[in-house]
Amino acid sequence: MTQRHYTLAETLSLIDDLGAEQLERYIRAGVVAPVQSAQGPLFRDLDLARLSLVVDLAEGYHLDEEALAMVLSLVDQLHGLRGDMRAMLDAVAREPVETRLRLKAAIREVRVIRQG
Amino acid sequence: MADDPYKALGLARTATQDEIKKAYRKIAKTDHPDLNPDPAAHERFKAASSAYDLLKDPEQRARFDKGEIDAQGQERPQRHYYREYAEQGDNPYRQSHGFEDFSDVFSDLFGQRAQARRGGGARSFDMRGPDQRFTLEIDFMTAARGGSTRITMPDGSVLEVKIPEGAHDGQVIRLRGKGGMGMGEGEPGDALLTLIVADDPDWRRDGDDVETTLPITIDEAVLGGKVEAQTIDGPVMLTVPRGANSGQKLRLKGRGIKGSGGKRGDQHVVLKIVMPPHVDDELAEFMRGWRENHAYDPRRGK
Repeated sequence: MTQRHYTLAETLSLIDDLGAEQLERYIRAGVVAPVQSAQGPLFRDLDLARLSLVVDLAEGYHLDEEALAMVLSLVDQLHGLRGDMRAMLDAVAREPVETRLRLKAAIREVRVIRQG
Repeated sequence: MADDPYKALGLARTATQDEIKKAYRKIAKTDHPDLNPDPAAHERFKAASSAYDLLKDPEQRARFDKGEIDAQGQERPQRHYYREYAEQGDNPYRQSHGFEDFSDVFSDLFGQRAQARRGGGARSFDMRGPDQRFTLEIDFMTAARGGSTRITMPDGSVLEVKIPEGAHDGQVIRLRGKGGMGMGEGEPGDALLTLIVADDPDWRRDGDDVETTLPITIDEAVLGGKVEAQTIDGPVMLTVPRGANSGQKLRLKGRGIKGSGGKRGDQHVVLKIVMPPHVDDELAEFMRGWRENHAYDPRRGK
């Protein structure tokens, strides 16, 4: 399955409140990293979703591209870890009941009892 | 969205354009689904962004205020949030931050640090049942046409599974609540069926296209004519051209598999000339005579 790609012009028209200069700054600062091609940058659905978030963050918190790059890197880590966690839970869910009970007890010990 | 976009933004109808934008930005700050995992926040954000979409354009807002358009129908197509992509294991942005992806988290799981100290025994708790994965093999026609098939679950119960038209290898079908039992008050998990489409000797599949072989007689090959051919939808009459060759392909447009876009692929019919079961004297005699004056060599040049 081939992924849909959007040109620079298409991207600008799809994302509200995003100007060409601003987008260029974001690309330079690495806030967004579109696919490079002979026709110029191509944006994936992933990039569009990221840019929407960037616009909301930039306007809501008055962040410049450096701050945005930092915030986005934290967001990436958070979401990535959440995905990892989900994969792990999925793997655990496939284990037999006894194994899951053992894991649950171990996690409880580390996260709940030892802290208390 | 909420029936009243002003309410979704917490504004009076007299709000200025600037106030509308500010109100939306304020909600985006606290309730953005990429920053706040709370489902209630997601709902607030969704309502606010639909409202903002409607009211941010003064002309459109005026039409709404006059009752010419309503709040429905203004919703933009399902917005995809960044987290949907960012949680994927292959998110390119995550890798670019120089973290060693999976290994960071999972090396601990399999390494030495994860020494479990056995605590007290199991306590009572509620837990959603596990999702259970199964592999379901279906035949070519069921995959192509869609239909239903019965499977027997590990606990002996029989389930009717609906197969969508154009199902493909590796496709996963989720049966809600048909997985493992929950513990305590927990709900059962889901059953996840990964489809395998069995090979069929008569039907070869290439993406959404299919290929079949159509045996024809030597007289059909020489003279051409109408021959019945099987398609996914049943038999059709196919015109074999005069002088048809083995290996020649005829295309039946739109007779293939229904693709993800809803459009069907094509069927390619490969002709195969089949000799009569017994070459009788009459045929042999005719061929001998024909060869005298019409010999040709298909192995040399063209």
